[in-house]
Amino acid sequence: MKKIAMKNSLFLALTVVTLIGCNSDDSKQELDNRNWQLTWSDEFEGTSGELPDATKWAFDTGTGNNGWGNQELQNYTNRPQNIAMDGNGNLVITALKESYQGSQYTSARIKTQNLFSQTYGRFEARLKTPYGQGLWPAFWMLGSNVDTVTWPQCGEIDIMELRGQKPSIVNGSLHGPGYSGGDAITGSYALRSNRFDVDFHIFAIEWNADTVDYFVDGYLYQRFEKSDLPGEWVYDHPFFMILNVAVGGNFLGNPTPQTPFPQKMTIDYVRVYKEVN
Amino acid sequence: MATNGKSELTFKLTLEIKNNDMKSNYTIRTAKHFSLWMIVLIFLGCENDPKDFQEATYSTNGEVFIDGFSPGLNYAAFSNTVITAFQADSEVTYNNSSASIRIDVPNVNDPDGAYAGGTFFTSVGRDLSGYDALTFWARSTKAASLDVIGFGIDLGLNKYETSISGASLTTTWKKYIIPIPDASKLKIEKGMLYFSEGPENGVGYTFWLDEVKFEKLGTIAHGQASILNGVNKIETSFNGVQSNVTGLISTFNLPNGIDQAVSISPSYLEFTSSNTAVATVNEAGVINTIGVGSTVITATLGGQPALGSLTINSLGTFTKAPIPTRNASTVISVFSETYPNVPVDYYNGYYAPYQTTQSADFTVNGDNVLNYTNFNFVGIQFSTPTINATTMSHLHVDLYFPNAIPAGATFKFEVNDWGADAAFGGGNDTTGSRTYTTPTLVSQNWVSLDIPFSSLAGLSSRAHLGQIILSGTNIANFYADNIYFYNDGSIIPPVPTTAAPTPTTAAANVTSIFSDAYTNVSGSNLNPNWGQATVATQVSIAGNNTLKYAGLNYQGLEFGSAQNVSSRNFLHLDYYTANSTSLKVYLISNPGSVERSYTLTVPSPGGWNSVDIPLSTFAPVNLSNVFQIKFDGNGDIYVDNIYFRN
Repeated sequence: MKKIAMKNSLFLALTVVTLIGCNSDDSKQELDNRNWQLTWSDEFEGTSGELPDATKWAFDTGTGNNGWGNQELQNYTNRPQNIAMDGNGNLVITALKESYQGSQYTSARIKTQNLFSQTYGRFEARLKTPYGQGLWPAFWMLGSNVDTVTWPQCGEIDIMELRGQKPSIVNGSLHGPGYSGGDAITGSYALRSNRFDVDFHIFAIEWNADTVDYFVDGYLYQRFEKSDLPGEWVYDHPFFMILNVAVGGNFLGNPTPQTPFPQKMTIDYVRVYKEVN
Repeated sequence: MATNGKSELTFKLTLEIKNNDMKSNYTIRTAKHFSLWMIVLIFLGCENDPKDFQEATYSTNGEVFIDGFSPGLNYAAFSNTVITAFQADSEVTYNNSSASIRIDVPNVNDPDGAYAGGTFFTSVGRDLSGYDALTFWARSTKAASLDVIGFGIDLGLNKYETSISGASLTTTWKKYIIPIPDASKLKIEKGMLYFSEGPENGVGYTFWLDEVKFEKLGTIAHGQASILNGVNKIETSFNGVQSNVTGLISTFNLPNGIDQAVSISPSYLEFTSSNTAVATVNEAGVINTIGVGSTVITATLGGQPALGSLTINSLGTFTKAPIPTRNASTVISVFSETYPNVPVDYYNGYYAPYQTTQSADFTVNGDNVLNYTNFNFVGIQFSTPTINATTMSHLHVDLYFPNAIPAGATFKFEVNDWGADAAFGGGNDTTGSRTYTTPTLVSQNWVSLDIPFSSLAGLSSRAHLGQIILSGTNIANFYADNIYFYNDGSIIPPVPTTAAPTPTTAAANVTSIFSDAYTNVSGSNLNPNWGQATVATQVSIAGNNTLKYAGLNYQGLEFGSAQNVSSRNFLHLDYYTANSTSLKVYLISNPGSVERSYTLTVPSPGGWNSVDIPLSTFAPVNLSNVFQIKFDGNGDIYVDNIYFRN
């Protein structure tokens, strides 16, 4: 995908939104005028079968601690059958139903930890989700100090999560000290006559010292302000990004024998901006 | 003013004039009126511009049943159903609507009908091409699995019949979605909703439907059609074989992320045969094999390929098994076109989990052929009733092995008798078996096997045969035809079913003692009391008077008057016995009751035996003064046509 100057793009997005009215309520949104400068991106332009750029992404592999803390069922790998570019400008993460090192499913999870992080800014991804009971795709962020202060003190921003059995609904959340896991601050956005697994949609947050704004296709569907939080605001340090497809776990329940496999999340690009005046 | 309106106006005026012919005054006035209008119309240009004609459009109304039936809906119950199963219900409704569809499913054996089923259809078709599903809410009096519910049955061609099966009904209202496989086909659809449901475990119940409508949900995705349920199947075929593409489904992912398979009619699909010189496939999915070679049958739905395929390997002209020539009265048939078949439970018992054998039976030009694939063993069963093969001597089977027969291949027949209780098990079942190998087994040629019961050691009775089990090693595939039991004549039924052969000797050359064909010597005593144990009677066998000697030790026949048969050459008699092991016939003459015997072969092979015994063998009996005939031996004997002849 070509790099576009963000300022114009936002304007364009707003215009498009206004004209088509592709949001739940038909009123025009009055959004703050923000100027953005691209600081990092991956357009996933590699050849078919290629692993993601190692200068931008690292792998989380295995089953983590107790299924990555959520009793997830997948074993994450760095094999191309679980994660590779498709030669058409996309990265594809594939969840497979297969017996692998004691797990019944494999998938992939990549992160920019120790390679790229940023405090505040706009973080966006254009992607198409998998579907089916027990599929749990996510585009999210963790504080870079996760290894020192641990979670949830480091803070977690979930830009997009989806439960595969509800393919028309995405969730955006904040996890922090005193409001984490089942007590996270969360909200959702639903497509009325469409699903997130049939087309690409753009999921983004715009984050500054006081707010985290959540967008789907340029529509602001929720805003969390510092004053809203039931606990400490921990979003003043660098965060890195994570992309993954989990299978099963406490967030949404496990797949059933009827869940179709393989399941894919297709990501067109990930772009990060910082605000300029 | 709409141009359509203009044309209508013209037409209406014309009619009115004609109707008013009778009233002259009125006519005149109207005529003037009409002329005026005509002039006006002409100037306005009542020449119709083809652009102005709009195509007749069909209603896009997607509602079927909300608070009641949408306009123009009819209902017809399917035959063999309880026709009163459906009624509108105002008490149990979804979301406080004023009415719902109520279906009362009958109990098993309800005299009013076997199940509940019917279709709601319109007289004028609707344009449903803008929708992507038929949805409805349903609840039931108990948890149940709804056999079939769908749309597209219009009591005509049912061209786009679509359904889901096994929908789980519950005691609370739930929404159900039937995705439309390809809505662009439903431009003029009359079949709005149909259902079919039988009792659950023999017990009926009630269910309700409400809020039935076609919707454009936008949240149904990933539609994928399949033929043969998505499997790539390979079949052997022959010229003249006709079959159908089966397993037509389209699977969609519903808004809750769960897949739903939808059964679809062939009209949704476009079928292709890769080699039409081998087989053709038409728009109804009917395949006709016409030539030698291979072809692959595939399909698309809405331009997208369907999963699954059928590869047909045609071997060309099919050689029928040799047509049986045995007399039907000597045959008990299990599988053939030549004879009526006895009731058979199945030709493949699918004995899971050890049996791998599948069936791919086919018909070529009216000849049905059993085709067993993946063969290890297979059972053919006939239990209601079992077969009494007591009077049969052999089992006949025609087999065809299309593939080369490897070394060590075997083919085994087992025949099972279920004993006097005529039921499997019970401690009285017996089995006999016979195995064949090469060189009897050959490939590419029908192998006709005649298996004598005497070779099926272990089968101690054959009065209640229940099964034939076929098994083999190193034989993957074979065809079978003409499976029947027969009597080659060696088994003699205890009672003759046919009369003794009618004599042909001219009466002038005959001195007859006992026969329906001649005038017998009068006054003969056919059962003189000589103190015998034999019970002698006369019975009618196929309309022919016949002597029956039951439990023979000895038995006499006393002529009404002594006969001079010295001018005759033979003693002729017809005799029939299934169980005698010893039988002699004597002539007795006077003076001195001189008697001489002749030994007859027993049991009588083939049933009735006719013998012409040269009278010279009875020397020293005085042929000019024969007055008695005697039989001795054992068993039950039927005798007829006793006469002296030239």
